[in-house]
Amino acid sequence: MTSSLDTRSAGDRRRTRAYLVEFAIGMVAYVALLGLALAFAPAAAPGPARWLLALAPAIAIGWVAVAVVRHLRRIDERQRLQTLEGLSIGFVVAMLSAVALGLLEPFGLSVIGGPWWIYGAGMLAWLATSLVQRVR
Amino acid sequence: MKNDLRARREAKGWTQARLADALDVSRQTVNALETGRYDPSLPLAFRIAALFDTSIEHIFTPDQQPVQSA
Repeated sequence: MTSSLDTRSAGDRRRTRAYLVEFAIGMVAYVALLGLALAFAPAAAPGPARWLLALAPAIAIGWVAVAVVRHLRRIDERQRLQTLEGLSIGFVVAMLSAVALGLLEPFGLSVIGGPWWIYGAGMLAWLATSLVQRVR
Repeated sequence: MKNDLRARREAKGWTQARLADALDVSRQTVNALETGRYDPSLPLAFRIAALFDTSIEHIFTPDQQPVQSA
C-alpha cells in the first residue's frame, strides 16, 4: 500500500540509529562521570582537582550537544526546520526562566536548584513544541 | 503550493518510504510534501523533478497565480 501508513524508510532508520547510539554514549558517560564526581569530589581537597571532578559530567553533556548537532546535519530540511524551531522556543523559555530567577534573588526569593529549573523549563518547552509539531 | 507528487509516486508503484530513500529525506517529509503541509526548498524541488524526469513547474503549482502587472 502506498499511503502515509508506510513504515519508515531505510534512511530514517539509519539516521535514528546513529543519533540514538551517539546520544546513548553521552548518557552512559554522564552517569559514569557523575558517579565518579559523587564518589570522589566531596572528599577531594578544595582546589582545581575538586573543580575538575565536580564538572566532569559536563564533558558528557557537551558530547550530547555534539550528538544533537550531528543529528541536525543528518536529518532532512523539514525535520531540521522543526527541530530548530523547537530548540529556539526552548532557548527563549530557558532565558526567560533565567531572568525570572535572577529577578527573584535580590528580594530574597531565590529558588533551590535554580539552574535545574532553567534547564527543565527549556527542555519542557522543546518537548512541548515537538509534540505540537507532530499533531499539526 | 499544490503538487501531484502522490499521483506520480503511485504511478511508479513506489511507497512513500522508497521515494524518501530516493530523495534522501524522511518518510514523514514525503507525506508532508504530498499533503501540501510542507513546501520544499528549491534544491529539493529540483531533486524531485529530476527523479520524475520532468520540470519543477510540472509537479508544483502555486495556490494562486501571480498577479500580472499591466
